[in-house]
Amino acid sequence: MQKLGDFKLPQFFNYPPYFTLQPVRDTREKQIQLWKDLILDYCKTHHIFVIGLEDQDFPLFSNPAIERSLTYEAREAFLSALVAQGRAEWLDKSRRKCLVLWHRIQDWANIVLDFVKDNGLEDSVMTVEEIRTGIESRGTELHGIDRTVLMRALKMLEQKGKLAIFKGTTADDEGVKFSI
Amino acid sequence: MRRRPGIGGLQNAAASRDQYRLLGENVAKIRTDLMKEQLTTFRTQLEDFARKHKNDIRKNPAFRSQFHNMCTKVGVDPLASNKGFWAELLGIGDFYYELGVQIVDICLATRPHNGGLINLQELCSLLRQRRKSDREAVSEDDCLRAISKLKVLGNGYEVISVGKRKLVRSVPTELNKDHNEILELAQAQGFVTVPEVERRLSWTTGRAIDAFDTLLDEGLAMIDDGHKDGVRRYWFPCVSSISAPLGADS
Repeated sequence: MQKLGDFKLPQFFNYPPYFTLQPVRDTREKQIQLWKDLILDYCKTHHIFVIGLEDQDFPLFSNPAIERSLTYEAREAFLSALVAQGRAEWLDKSRRKCLVLWHRIQDWANIVLDFVKDNGLEDSVMTVEEIRTGIESRGTELHGIDRTVLMRALKMLEQKGKLAIFKGTTADDEGVKFSI
Repeated sequence: MRRRPGIGGLQNAAASRDQYRLLGENVAKIRTDLMKEQLTTFRTQLEDFARKHKNDIRKNPAFRSQFHNMCTKVGVDPLASNKGFWAELLGIGDFYYELGVQIVDICLATRPHNGGLINLQELCSLLRQRRKSDREAVSEDDCLRAISKLKVLGNGYEVISVGKRKLVRSVPTELNKDHNEILELAQAQGFVTVPEVERRLSWTTGRAIDAFDTLLDEGLAMIDDGHKDGVRRYWFPCVSSISAPLGADS
C-alpha cells in the first residue's frame, strides 16, 4: 500500500478514474464519500486545518505514481461536500481556502474542557497563545491548533458560561479566565 | 416357421409376433435391470471411496474437484441436500453453504467499487484472505460450485465468461454482446478508449458511446480524463484487481 510518510493511503487513491469527477450520480456519491473520508483522515493525522484549493503541494491533490491530479472542479466538489456535512467551512467567498474541522467545534470545546481539568486550571487565567502552544498543551491535540478554530471553541464555551474571554496587554493577544 | 396359407397361418403369424414382442420386452428389462445393478454397485463403491478419502476430499481442492466429476458421471449430487448420506459423511453441504455466504458478503462489499461484477480470480483471492485461519483450502472450482448453489436459491448470482476470464455477476444487470466485447478489450489494460473500440471492433462512434454510457450508468465503468494525451479512458473495476498495484499507463 502506498504511503505518504507514515500515512497509509487507501486503495482508491491508486486508481486513476477516482481523480476525475464522475458523471453518474451514484458513482459520484461513492467517489465523494471516499475522498471526504480521506481528506478528514489525512488532515487529522497531520494536524492540517486549512486547505488552499490552489495549493499544488497538498499531497492528496495528486498522485505522481499514476500521473493523475484532481481538477479544481473536483477539489471544490469534495470540499463543498465536507462543508455541507458541517465538517469544513469556506474561509473566503471565492472558495479558495477551506477550514477543515476534523474535530467539530463542539469536540474542540470538550477537548479544551478536558485540558483545563487535566491540568487543574479550573479557576486560572491563560492567554490564548499559551493554550495553543504552552507547555501544558504539548502532547495534546490542542498543541498547534489553528487559532481561528480555538477561538470558535472558546466562544462556544463562553456562551455556556464556562469561561470569559478578555483582551490582553498587547493588541493582538487575548486571555481566558476559566470558571468551570 | 413355415408359412401356412389360410386363417390358421394368419393366427400363427400374430402369435409369433406377440411372442417376439414379449421376448423383446424381456431383453430390454434384463438390460435395464443389469444397468441398475451396475449403477448400484458403482454408487456403493463411490460411497466406500468417499468414506476412505474423506480427509483428502475435505482438504485438497484438486482432489475434491475430481471427486465431484466422478459423482456427476454417476448421477450423484453430494450437495443436493443437507441431509442424507453424503452431507453427513462429508459435511460438504456445510462447506459450500458457508462459502456461498462469504461470497455474497464479498460481492456486496465490493459492489460500490465494481458495480456488481467481479473477477472470479479476485473473488477467490479475497475469499482465501478471509479464510486464512481455516484449514480447508478453496479453489476457483469450489467458488463456482458454491455460486451455482446460490443460483438455485434465486439470488441472481451468475458466472459469465468474458474473453479468457470469468466474471461473477451479483446484480441483475444484463450485458449484451457489445458490452461483453468492451469488457474483453478492457482486460488487457483495465481500460478502453473510444478510438480503440472504433479501431479494433470497427464500430461507429455512436455505437461505442452508447455502450459506454450504459456501462457507466450501471456502475460498471468509470471515466478518467486525467491522462496527458487528453483522451477519455473508461476503466472497469471488475476486470482489475483492487489489490494489485496499478502503475501509470504510457
